[in-house]
Amino acid sequence: MKKTLIAAAMLGASTSAMAVAPGGPGCGWGNMLFEGQSGMPMHLLATIVNGTSGNATFGMTTGTNGCDTSGALSYSGSSLLGMTGVMEEVAQDMATGEGEALTALSVSMGIEASDRAHFNAVMHENFAAIFPHQDVTADEVMASITDVMKKDDSLSKYLA
Amino acid sequence: MRAVFLSFLLCCCATAFASPTDKELAAQPRWQALLHINPGATLRDRQRSYVDDEQFFLSEQGKDDALEELTASREALVAPGAEARCRFPARYRFLSEQLGWQDAAPFSHCAEYQEWRQAVTAKRAVLVFPAAYLNSPSSMFGHTLLRLDQGDDSAVWLSWAVNFGAVAMADDNSFFYIYRGLAGGYPGRFALVPYVQKIQEYSHMENRDMWEYTLDLDQQEMDWLIDHLWELKDINFDYYFFDENCSFRLLELMEVARPGSHLLDELRFAEVPVNTVRALDEGGFISERHYRPSKAVELDNLRSQLSGRQQTLARRLANDPALLDSEEFLASSEQDQALMVTVAYRFLRLKYRKEDRTDKVAADSFALLSAINRMPPVTVPETRDAQPPEGGHGTQMLAASGGQRDGNLDFGELSYRLTYHDLLDNPYGFLRGAQIEGIDLTLRSTESGDPKLEELGVVSIRSMAPRNRFIKPLSWYVEGGLERAWAERRRLVRYVQGGAGASWHWGNWQPYVLSSFRLENNSAFDRFVTAGAGLDAGMLYRRGDWQWQLGSVGHYFTNDVYRHTSTFAVQWAMTRQHGLRASVEREGWRGDGENEFKLQWRWYYD
Repeated sequence: MKKTLIAAAMLGASTSAMAVAPGGPGCGWGNMLFEGQSGMPMHLLATIVNGTSGNATFGMTTGTNGCDTSGALSYSGSSLLGMTGVMEEVAQDMATGEGEALTALSVSMGIEASDRAHFNAVMHENFAAIFPHQDVTADEVMASITDVMKKDDSLSKYLA
Repeated sequence: MRAVFLSFLLCCCATAFASPTDKELAAQPRWQALLHINPGATLRDRQRSYVDDEQFFLSEQGKDDALEELTASREALVAPGAEARCRFPARYRFLSEQLGWQDAAPFSHCAEYQEWRQAVTAKRAVLVFPAAYLNSPSSMFGHTLLRLDQGDDSAVWLSWAVNFGAVAMADDNSFFYIYRGLAGGYPGRFALVPYVQKIQEYSHMENRDMWEYTLDLDQQEMDWLIDHLWELKDINFDYYFFDENCSFRLLELMEVARPGSHLLDELRFAEVPVNTVRALDEGGFISERHYRPSKAVELDNLRSQLSGRQQTLARRLANDPALLDSEEFLASSEQDQALMVTVAYRFLRLKYRKEDRTDKVAADSFALLSAINRMPPVTVPETRDAQPPEGGHGTQMLAASGGQRDGNLDFGELSYRLTYHDLLDNPYGFLRGAQIEGIDLTLRSTESGDPKLEELGVVSIRSMAPRNRFIKPLSWYVEGGLERAWAERRRLVRYVQGGAGASWHWGNWQPYVLSSFRLENNSAFDRFVTAGAGLDAGMLYRRGDWQWQLGSVGHYFTNDVYRHTSTFAVQWAMTRQHGLRASVEREGWRGDGENEFKLQWRWYYD
């Protein structure tokens, strides 16, 4: 269950099933990284001195970019998840059936190396169900992934 | 020195039961590395700690005195349950190993540290080199950071990135920011962020290729490194762009992991990131190399598989996914259709990556992605001949040349360039179409007189990014310094100049056209500063080890002076570190001009 939470967080989904506005307004699919910054983009600021923008992070902060990442995240921690670009990459990898984002997703869900190719294939087949339209939220995506896995004999065990 | 050290080690083993003295311990390479003591790598802070933060020292003399700090650390760390253990786990480990302290759970009272340490683990450490990025002053020479992989699989999106950089706050204005970032006005800190953020930043946003070098560190060495990282949390270093930068600090971390690596023994005036890769390579740290192309390179590799007509169609498809049902599209083979849709989709994402989401782009992207899902799989072709940066020529250069100027005036020249690369230098391992020169000095001697300063380039940056159907980057340049130019006679003038325009690739040819603006100060013009405007245009050609350039730049000044220079030059890259360059130049001004021929041998080093 913990692993699923982490994966949900990775997609930017809220970890609370009862959350009112799942993911928050900044979490829809297809958003751009670092959006909504006024003035000189923080991205540019950080680049100029090869530094980090805003408060220095040390693997301990949570939540950026308007995505709700509350909840204890202990895997690769935190802001991976608040990052809006990640869901887009996951979608792209699912459409083609492979890629680093999809690998990261399956690893974070605890899927064994021997089942990962199968996981990729199942996600590829069910792309249209998982991403039905461009306004889908991270929570909906996570729920669909869980549904698909439930129906699959060798993937259902990872949801236990 | 090494023999002395070895016998010292043997000594320690032989007298295992007698604890080493504090003085011996303080002199050990690992203790020196844990305190970041400068072994003589830079002139600043020699034999003192680089850390610029009281929080880091337990003794008031800690910055200057490794022995005092050791004594203070021993006192602070020895008691079970000591608060200092939670701040300095690596120091504790060092002292407990050396002094034989026994404690089965020395950090049991350190909840925060334990939580962090559980989250930050590594099975593999990787040095990452994002290639040069000309649009930002601090990234022109590339950058280096460290990646910690939690597993040995390919799930690098779940890895940590250890990055050293200046800590900047958004409330400063940008000019200040650049100045202070370069001049050392900001403190430097280590940051730990998810690696995926770095991929997004470099590969997606800035179109920088990344080189990833797996480091040959064992589990113990990695644990030393991570424990020490915790000691550096929120600790300020000085940040200097030229030497105490991201790369330099990573070498210090390597010394913590593997003391006595001698990575910092030599004095240096600048730490160029690519030299860090070289230093670690020569030190036997690198076991594997991986190339991560930027999104733009991937798009380029994909589109080059299509015909020109198909590329145009893919470009239209990005704006109008309804073309998926058109006869024109369906006429191609299934594989080509898949390729076109992939190109269209990736182009769309790349193009709008920095903009706000719009309904149209989101809907179009989604339509294309859904189409990709229904089509046969497309794999991105590997970049042919990807050239690792450490294989490039040295960062400094010395050159000797001889030539002749109009009127049988023979001359000889000596040149030195501090850094880094121009458009005719051996391009292997460098960003194509990019030029960065800093401090470029030439002295010229003729038969009739003493050697004279011919040129002192302070800075010269040129970015010739080619345009194609899909991406339309701006080409630009900026330079300034002292040079000889015609103002009633040939004299030394002071100038800054720059401009913007476009550049294209046609096979091996690369034409370019840029506007050019110049501000000049010389003793012949009436005004202190005279402005001029004009054009800078030409053609680059490359084939094998040969680089050619035919170019012309001209300015018309506000005081009605007109001046232009046309050059034809060719360089043969004889070896990695040696080049031979020949050039013919015509300097012209209203009503007259002079020609010059020059042959130059260029030696790159360091």
